[in-house]
Amino acid sequence: MYFVRTLIAACVVFVLQLTVVHRIAVGGASPDMMLILLVVLVLDRKPVAAVIIGFLLGYLQDLGNASFLGMNALAKSLVGYCIARFGGDYLPDNVIFRGVLIFSACLINDLVVLNISSSFNPFDVLTSFFRYSLISALYTVVVGILILKLLHLLPRRMVRQGGSY
Amino acid sequence: MQILSFLFEKHLEKTVLAVVMALSVFMLTRSEESQLNSARAVSSFLLYPVDKVEEYFNSLEELREENRELREIAVSLYQEQERMNQFRSERIRLRRLLEMREDSFFEFNACEVISRSSNRFHHSLTVDKGGAEGIRVGMAVVGYRGLAGRVTQVFPHSSRVMLLNNKSISVSCQDKRSRVIGILNWERGNLFRLDFIGREEDVLVGDTLLTSGLGRIFPQGFPVGTVFRVAEDRAELSLNVGVLSMMDLGILEELFIVTGGRDWDSDAVFEQLEAIMSKDSIRGM
Repeated sequence: MYFVRTLIAACVVFVLQLTVVHRIAVGGASPDMMLILLVVLVLDRKPVAAVIIGFLLGYLQDLGNASFLGMNALAKSLVGYCIARFGGDYLPDNVIFRGVLIFSACLINDLVVLNISSSFNPFDVLTSFFRYSLISALYTVVVGILILKLLHLLPRRMVRQGGSY
Repeated sequence: MQILSFLFEKHLEKTVLAVVMALSVFMLTRSEESQLNSARAVSSFLLYPVDKVEEYFNSLEELREENRELREIAVSLYQEQERMNQFRSERIRLRRLLEMREDSFFEFNACEVISRSSNRFHHSLTVDKGGAEGIRVGMAVVGYRGLAGRVTQVFPHSSRVMLLNNKSISVSCQDKRSRVIGILNWERGNLFRLDFIGREEDVLVGDTLLTSGLGRIFPQGFPVGTVFRVAEDRAELSLNVGVLSMMDLGILEELFIVTGGRDWDSDAVFEQLEAIMSKDSIRGM
């Protein structure tokens, strides 16, 4: 049942990412809903599961834009590993640290994505990073915290042990 | 074994991460075309149920539309049938008065094309009705608009149909307007030539050709084609008459095999039609 719920959530977020997110972009920066879903899903998981979930979510995202098939899969599996390895157990469960976690996840994800999409050109990477990634990461943090708050408001039986959905 | 134990027991996390990253890099290093192809394949696999549901709802809409159109056609056909019934009774009465012999009209067996011959000059196809359904060699095959060919081989549940666009088939045809008779031979594509038409014969562009029934190869009265060219050839004694086939012989899907004649007095087809109409009217109430 949990798997089906996760799959449905992934599909809904994927559709939102493709259809709605670009409409709420501010100054060219838009939140990465898939990354928020990844954080929510892998926060209290073991690194192996986190890597696999990250890979599958990234691959799903890659299917939406297949010109760099594998790019988001690589970035999200790395981010998933980092969150599970250094996030859930070490960071306290409060809004600020969750925000820091999402922010860091966004930056790692964007660094990988920018490097691959610009063929490791440092100038392009740095330009795009400071121009879009920082604002996008902040935007993602705001949306992510709202979603985490909403999830905490859900009845306990809909929330997995440990807080993740 | 030691390596496996090292990888999957002591460093499972790092091994999984390395495998996943290697897989991602492998996908990234493939050519753009193969990336797109594999993405398309995975997407179509994942979206297969969605596509099926969408297809189902689209087909429902199409069926509803088709059903509405068919109902409209059925209503006009029902009225036409009433008119034809009167003509039929009158015709039977007059023929009896004139002591003419009994004649018949045709019975059809609907069939679907299941394969086509790939030979460029020997156009034939296979239909899904055969000997078990009463099909015999030599029966004429028609489409919605006119003659298509004849049955040349019969198997238990399929038959081979030789189409009109064959050099080995000639059809005796009659001009519907002037009743001039000629022999139709295939030229290319859906174009035919009407041979043995004298220079003084009355054939005009736009005339419809029907099967004449002479030779008893094809039954009489089926539309075959329309005259699109009538030219006088000075060197020849006959007219050069070009005919365009009624049927597009390249895209046949559903056909009807003329399985035999039925007496004009038989009411079977009308009873069948009335049963369908009454069922429709009950449903519409």
